[in-house]
Amino acid sequence: MAGSRAERIGLWLSGAVVAVVVLAGIAVLFIHYEPADAVDYDRQLVSPSWDHPLGTDGQGRDVAMRLLMGTRAFFLPGVMAAAIATVIGALAGAFSGYATGPARSAVLGVLQLVDTLPRLVFIILVCTILNPSIGLISVVAGFLFIPAIATVIRQKVETLGSEDYILAHVAHGFSTGRILLYHILWLQCRPQLIRQATFVFGYVLFVETALSYLGDYGVQEPDPSWGNMVAQTRELAGASAWPWAAPAVAIAVTIAAFLAFGNLLARRDEEAVR
Amino acid sequence: MSAPLLDVDGLVIEFDTAAGRKRVVDGVSFSLAGGEVLGILGESGSGKTMSTLAVLGLIGGRPGVMGGHITWHDESGPIDLLGGLDKQLRPKAGKPTVKHDRRWARLVARRMRPLWGNAMTAVFQNPRHALDPLMSIGRQVEESVRLAHPGLDRAQVRAKAVEWLAKVQMNQPERVHSSYAHELSGGMCQRAMIAVALARQPRLLVADEPTTGLDTTVRAEIVALFKELLADRRRSMLYISHDIREVLYLADRIIVMRHGKVVETVEAAEVKAGRGVRHPYTASLLSAAELPVGEAA
Repeated sequence: MAGSRAERIGLWLSGAVVAVVVLAGIAVLFIHYEPADAVDYDRQLVSPSWDHPLGTDGQGRDVAMRLLMGTRAFFLPGVMAAAIATVIGALAGAFSGYATGPARSAVLGVLQLVDTLPRLVFIILVCTILNPSIGLISVVAGFLFIPAIATVIRQKVETLGSEDYILAHVAHGFSTGRILLYHILWLQCRPQLIRQATFVFGYVLFVETALSYLGDYGVQEPDPSWGNMVAQTRELAGASAWPWAAPAVAIAVTIAAFLAFGNLLARRDEEAVR
Repeated sequence: MSAPLLDVDGLVIEFDTAAGRKRVVDGVSFSLAGGEVLGILGESGSGKTMSTLAVLGLIGGRPGVMGGHITWHDESGPIDLLGGLDKQLRPKAGKPTVKHDRRWARLVARRMRPLWGNAMTAVFQNPRHALDPLMSIGRQVEESVRLAHPGLDRAQVRAKAVEWLAKVQMNQPERVHSSYAHELSGGMCQRAMIAVALARQPRLLVADEPTTGLDTTVRAEIVALFKELLADRRRSMLYISHDIREVLYLADRIIVMRHGKVVETVEAAEVKAGRGVRHPYTASLLSAAELPVGEAA
């Protein structure tokens, strides 16, 4: 039922990482952390110990604590971008798959237009024009993913439209809204939506990391983000690996876990259909 | 005979094929009274399914229904289901594009929406495909119950759904309530489908070859179930089949279709008594089923 043994293990492992990231993302909302107060020049580049499980960075700040606080930079923005992309994408897809006439053409036109924009370049462009903030980045990233999701959902709606049971639902007098939103979007398209939502989340982490690493547009020092943690310790690479290796591994593991979790969860949902 | 419920007059249905425009239903006319069971008999491709899909408003485009009248006799008076639709299409008529197709479907849907479910609904050929694979059987019946009785609370809706599953003679209706279509046999799926349709309390049930693909014993059970469910004469049925025995058992009147045309309309009682059949095609169907042909040609 739940696929091969490897898939089940993968789902549990990636699910555990996702759970840790989600817990961390929520926990940091309630933790007060003053980056300036954390500086301790007496404890620069200390190796891991009980006091500092992942050592300290070039300014004597605890790497583990900054890693935890760094989730603030991408967690809520990632959730927001995923929500924007999946909710608007699903509705736009359902509408364009069902509706007729000029309204449908207009929606398809706008979706195609947005789809032609190169994502990372467009985000950097917006950041250049407007005041860059991670909130803005997440909203723009969310909007840029709407066409991808809408296309998947539109194709699904068009295919399902001729299925016997959808025809039967129509004959039984179920409303169009209920058939579209519940029977098609919620019951049938959930695997695709899960997959796309976790992908968008992973993408926001990637963008935040990339922009913070590049310096000008992401989260600025002394506020921690996984991207600027890696960037900050560039020149320390030879001196101590912990301050840059820990966030680098965290970025790779988190993105991989979110993509795997979305995929495996969706696959399990799809297998349940068969 | 009680009051008329449905009149179909000169129905024409055409589709585009690789070989050009094909007329699949050619001037079909029939009528149905309240409480009556009308059997539509014919071989595959005779146009029987298309005719009933047109009645249900489920032929979603143009080409499709190209002519004729379908009149539904509602409590408030007759409704012309196709009347005036052509006029509304006229500005862009003449060019059968996909866009054109979809506009027709939308117009029909607007007219049919108040009738779907409570006036008429359908039981389709392949019950496994006609049930939502991702929803439990019980929840599908509940959805119909909720539409038929909007005032009921959750527990009452559930109780009514279980009651319907028992009415369609489902063993262990409580267990079936939480089952999914893939967990049931074909016969059980068809019973579930009948429960979903009848829970809407329709005045007309269209059964499109509901026993196709089922085992012989299960077929007999499903046909007997229809007979029992319709015994109170409170609803009418269009029963489509290519099995003359089933149609004779269930129907009051039978229309025989071939090549998109009605070749003959006969009273079931007459046929059973070995009378009334005049058309050679009907006679051949009877003799193929080893039934008495009577005075037929």
